Amino acid sequence: MKFLDWAIVVAYLVYVIWDGIRMTKHSGDVEGYFLANRSLPWWAVGLSVMATQLSAITLVGTTGQAYTDGMRFLQFYYGLPLAMVILCITVVPFFYRANVYTAYEYLERRFDAKTRSLTSFCFLISRGLGVGVIIAAPSVILSIVLGWSEIATIFLMGLSTTVYTMIGGVQAVTWTDVKQMAVIFLGLSVVLIVIIAQFPQQVSLTDGLYLAGSLGKLETVNTSFDLTEKYTIWSGLIAALFLFLAYFGCDQSQVQRFLTAKSVSEGRTSLLMSAFLKIPMQFMILLIGVLVFVFYQFATPPMIFNSVESAKVEQKAQYQILQGEYDAAHAIREASALAFVADKSDAARESYVAADKVFNETRKNATEFIKAETGNKSFNDVNYVFPTFVVQNMPMGVIGLIIAAIFAAAMSSISAELNSLATATTIDFYRRHFRTDADDKHYVRFGRAATFVWGIFACIVAIYATNLGSLIEVVNKFGSFFYGSLLGVFVLAIVVKRARPRGAFFGLLIGIASVWLASVYTNIEFLWFNVVGCLATVLAGYLISLTDRREPNAGTAEA
Amino acid sequence: MGSHEKKNTETVEELPDAWWYKIYAGVVLTTILVIAALYAFSRYFSL
Repeated sequence: MKFLDWAIVVAYLVYVIWDGIRMTKHSGDVEGYFLANRSLPWWAVGLSVMATQLSAITLVGTTGQAYTDGMRFLQFYYGLPLAMVILCITVVPFFYRANVYTAYEYLERRFDAKTRSLTSFCFLISRGLGVGVIIAAPSVILSIVLGWSEIATIFLMGLSTTVYTMIGGVQAVTWTDVKQMAVIFLGLSVVLIVIIAQFPQQVSLTDGLYLAGSLGKLETVNTSFDLTEKYTIWSGLIAALFLFLAYFGCDQSQVQRFLTAKSVSEGRTSLLMSAFLKIPMQFMILLIGVLVFVFYQFATPPMIFNSVESAKVEQKAQYQILQGEYDAAHAIREASALAFVADKSDAARESYVAADKVFNETRKNATEFIKAETGNKSFNDVNYVFPTFVVQNMPMGVIGLIIAAIFAAAMSSISAELNSLATATTIDFYRRHFRTDADDKHYVRFGRAATFVWGIFACIVAIYATNLGSLIEVVNKFGSFFYGSLLGVFVLAIVVKRARPRGAFFGLLIGIASVWLASVYTNIEFLWFNVVGCLATVLAGYLISLTDRREPNAGTAEA
Repeated sequence: MGSHEKKNTETVEELPDAWWYKIYAGVVLTTILVIAALYAFSRYFSL
């Protein structure tokens, strides 16, 4: 990193914090602080929805995944536009006209306080831990790639976001999200152009795509119906549809975005903006990963992208032998790639595919060697591919822009999460159960304190999460256990007229238990847990509701 | 809870449902076309 790169990163951080803090003047009362007085335009809300979903680990991990595995991950997003349409028809008008601050507040009106508190509590636990992971993952990567201390990166990212979120509330979150999306788009566009410009003179973009395509890295539609296959068109259109319905429709970090819109129409338009832009944007991110792969056909990539792990073993004789084999395999693959570019015959293609296979074997051997030597069985350097590529190959200025974009992606997600955690804590617990009659200023002060406490909590979780790989897995699993079941409760609330409080409460618990059983006794991919959880909750909730003869709460279904 | 409920007194003009259903149909159609285009893109460069 040169002076210009540092200047760009520092300028980004200073501007975002200043921009967030100056929103204080719009955040004096509860509605202003938590809902921006329902005054925001659709495009700002829409960009905030996208920024919240796009975390740094999505940005960095997805490009790395495209490098190793191609573009098949894109199928995960095929259900998103359909989810947005369903949400525009159902929850957007429901929540908006119900004048709620949190999604779970609606559940009290429809069912009871117990169901509201349980769902909100599940949200606080899963998101409270989840935001720690959102901070931890890019912090570890940036600390290794840039040579910073992990704790410094965690607190730089976590505390700077906490400060402006705490002071400026949801206005700060949304308007900084808009600028952060601009930084992300600018960074990605520049890196895309620079990568293509760095291809050898005789290799065009089309040639690069033929190279990637011949190895199956451009596959975007897999029609096999296999529940153990992670990314197929069916897991995207069906299983991920349930996940997106739960995430955008029942997770407070997203619901709060469209509740800040000026009207139902503006809320709907903000979600449809994601419906139109998400797949192209994700395509662009994956394409960058594929083009990094093409770039490394003509420049030797690091055998292991995580330099800290490779440094532990690089002096060993066995590793040096592997490095020699790797370099030789790369040289053969490079020659085959150039031959294929010059003559796109079947023979040249087969030769290139065979050379790539040998190359991948040598890299796999190195990975296995590191796993055996370090005892780290889950070692995987996919997330290090993109940042390492940027730092080693991008020109001055572009490095700083990309690091700022990674910060922007992380901070936009963290701010929305912290703001929604503070909202649920204040509205669903403090104002509901502990202090029911205070004035607005009191709740805004409490909301700020809650944001600060959640920010510190997230940083502490992040410090532990960097050392405990299994914790990250537990947090992610807990999230997937919860999402489908939470969606099931909202389906009961909005669609099933016969649903009663007892059914909703126990249906949620049965749904979570069903997902746990599915995770233990089957090997279906985690995306399908959302389907299992939702269906189990709705079915169990409906059957249990039949045993409850009480009438539902008055005036709820018409909200 | 009741004492804290916000009264939304501002009248906001909302677009009619019929208009929205046309937009939703457009979103679904666009999604199908995008997936088809991506499939064609994959096939084209896979030779």
